[in-house]
Amino acid sequence: MSSPLPALTSPFKDKYTTLPSSSSSPSIATSDMHVSALTHVQRPQNPTFSSQSSRGVASLPPVNSSFPQSTASLNHTPGNEDASWSLDQLQKFLDLPENAAAPAPNQLAESGTDVMASEDHDKKTDWHEWADDFINVPDPDWSRVLDDTNVLDSKLKVSKQQPQFHQNQPAPHGEFSSNTYPSSTTPTKPRMRWTPELHEAFLEAVNLLGGSERATPKGILKLMNVEGLTIYHVKSHLQKYRTARYMPESSEGTSEKKVTSIEKMKSIDLKTSIGITEALRMQMEVQKQLHEQLEIQRNLQLRIEEQGRYLQMMFEKQKKVENEKSGAPSSALDEAPSPLPGLKHLPCNNDKSDSEALQQDHSRTGIDPGNAGSKNEKGTADVSMKQKALETESTHHIEKNDDESGFPVLKRARTEK
Amino acid sequence: MKFGKRLKQQIEETLPAWRDKFLSYKELKKLVRLISSAESPEFGKADAGAEFMYLLNNEIDKFNAFFMEQEEDFIIRHKELQQRIKRVIDTWGPGGTKPSEAEYKDEMAKVRKDMVDFHGEMVLLVNYSNINYTGLAKILKKYDKRTGGLLRLPFIQKVLQQPFFVTDLVSKLVKECENTIDQVFPVEVEAEIVKEQREAITVAGKGIFRNTVAALLSMQEIRRGSSTFGHFSLPPLDLPDSDLIHSFQLNSPITTV
Repeated sequence: MSSPLPALTSPFKDKYTTLPSSSSSPSIATSDMHVSALTHVQRPQNPTFSSQSSRGVASLPPVNSSFPQSTASLNHTPGNEDASWSLDQLQKFLDLPENAAAPAPNQLAESGTDVMASEDHDKKTDWHEWADDFINVPDPDWSRVLDDTNVLDSKLKVSKQQPQFHQNQPAPHGEFSSNTYPSSTTPTKPRMRWTPELHEAFLEAVNLLGGSERATPKGILKLMNVEGLTIYHVKSHLQKYRTARYMPESSEGTSEKKVTSIEKMKSIDLKTSIGITEALRMQMEVQKQLHEQLEIQRNLQLRIEEQGRYLQMMFEKQKKVENEKSGAPSSALDEAPSPLPGLKHLPCNNDKSDSEALQQDHSRTGIDPGNAGSKNEKGTADVSMKQKALETESTHHIEKNDDESGFPVLKRARTEK
Repeated sequence: MKFGKRLKQQIEETLPAWRDKFLSYKELKKLVRLISSAESPEFGKADAGAEFMYLLNNEIDKFNAFFMEQEEDFIIRHKELQQRIKRVIDTWGPGGTKPSEAEYKDEMAKVRKDMVDFHGEMVLLVNYSNINYTGLAKILKKYDKRTGGLLRLPFIQKVLQQPFFVTDLVSKLVKECENTIDQVFPVEVEAEIVKEQREAITVAGKGIFRNTVAALLSMQEIRRGSSTFGHFSLPPLDLPDSDLIHSFQLNSPITTV
C-alpha cells in the first residue's frame, strides 16, 4: 500500500536526526547495527499534499512516511488515542483522520488541507514527513506500548522471561519485542531486545551447527525456533558474536578499540604510580559507586513520577466529584481514600535496599517530616496549576486531603526510618 | 542552564562513539523558547511546537536504538568473558591442561583489566540512560512551564516504559560482573593500607575510568540544590566516599580524532 507520494527530501529530519544515517527513519541505530536489517524502511514515503496548507498545525495527515506498514494503528480516531493526552495543544497536533481523505488505509493522499502552511515546497513536505512520523509514532503506538508494557510489567522483567522471544504480542504484526518502542511493526525494521536466555539459546544453536564460523543465520534461526525472531536479528547478532570472540585479548568488542589505546595511555600514568592491582581496584570502586548512585537516582525518579500520577488521579477524582455534586466537600474527602489502598501497594514493591536507600537520602534531603508538609503543598500547587481548569476550592480540598492521608509513599518511608 | 552545561561536559568526556547519542538538550530548549515567544501566533508557535514533538520522539528512538544495541553487545561480551576466564583457569591454572604460573598470572591480569573496563562500560550505559531521562524530564518541565501545556506527565509516563529507561538487565549484568570479579580476584588486605596513603591521582586521557569519575561528579553537581527545587526534583547526591572521587583530578579533555 504505497501511497502515491513522491519521495521528498527531509531537511527537517536531517536537521534533527543525529544518527549517521540521517535520511532514514530515526530508529536506525549506529554503524554497528546491521544496516541490512534496517534500511529497508529507508524509502521515504511522503504524502502528496496538494496545495492547501492551512496555517497552524491544525491537523496532520496520518501518513506514515518512514514506516510504511504500520497502518492499522493510524485509523484510530483521534479521540481514542488522544485520551491519555487530552490536551488542546496536542489535540491539534494529533488530530488525524478527521481531515483525512483516507483513501488507502494509512497512506493518506490529499489531506493537504490540514498541513502546515509554508511558502517553500520543501518546508511543506518536511512537515508531512515529520508529521507522519509524529502521528504514527507517538500517538497510536504509544498507547499500545503503554498497554503492552503494562501487561509485561505484570509478568516481571523482560530478562526473567523464558528464552522465548519475549514479546507480548502487542500487534498483529508481532515482529518486535515487547519493550520496543514500536515505531514500526514491519518485519524489516525489527528492534529486538536480546536477553541472556535468548543468547544462550543462540549459543546452543551455534554450537550444534559447528561453531560461529560454520553456523549460518538460517540454520541458527531454525534451530532456535523462537517466535518472532527474524533472520535479520540472527544475522546481526551472529556478527556481533563473531567480533566479540575474535578479539578477546586486545579489547572486548569493537566499540572499545579506540578506548583501549587511549586507556593504555592513561594506564601508564595511573598505574605506574600505584600499581595495576590497586588502580583496578580503585576503578572498580568508583564504578560501583556510580552504579549504586544511579540505581538510587532511578528509584527516586520513579517514585517522583508515581506521586505525580497519584496527584493527578486525586485531582481528577476531585474534579469529577466537584462536577457531579456541586460543592459538597465532604464527599470528595470520602472518595479520596479509595485510590490509596491501591497505591499503598506500590511502595511495598520496592525492596529493602531501596527503602533503606531512600531513608538514607531522606535523611539528607528535604523529604523529612518537617518539610513534608510544605513540599506537599508546593507539589500540589504545582500540579494543580498545571491542571488549568482549577478552582481554588478543589485545590484546598486536595491539600487538605494530602495532609490527612495523602502521599502514602512519603509517609511510608518516614515510618520506616 | 546548569544541566545543559553538565550534559555538554559529559558528552565531551564520554566515549567517542557515544558522543552523538545523547539528548539534544540545547536544541529542545531552543524550540521551547521559540514556542513560547513565537511572534506570529499560529504559524510560528505551532511550527516550533510540532518541531519540538518531532525532535522529542526522534531522540527517544535514538536512545532506544543505541541502548538496545549496546545491551546486546554487553550480553555477548559478558558471556564471552565468563568463558574466557574458565578457559584461562582450565588451561594455565594449577589444575589445568598446561599449568603455568607465569602465563596464568599474565592472562588473568588481562582478563581482570578487561572485566573491570567492561564493568565500567556497562555502568556508563546506565548513566547514559539516566542522564538522558533526566534531560527529558527537565525539558518537559520547561515546556509545560513555558507553554502552559500539560505534556510532561503523560509523556514522562511513556518514557518510563521505553527500553532505554528499563535498565534492569544491564544492572543485573553489572552485579554479576562484580560478583565474578570478587570471586576470581579477591581483594587482599594490603590494598586497604594503600588506600589510606592514596594521593591525588591524575586521571589522564579518555578512558572508562575517567568517564566514570566524570559521570559521578556530574551527577553530584546536577543534584546539588537547584534553584527550582520542587516536588519533582531530586535531592542532593549522597556520595559515601566523595573524597575518593574528588581526589581524582581530571585533566582537560584531550580532543580525539
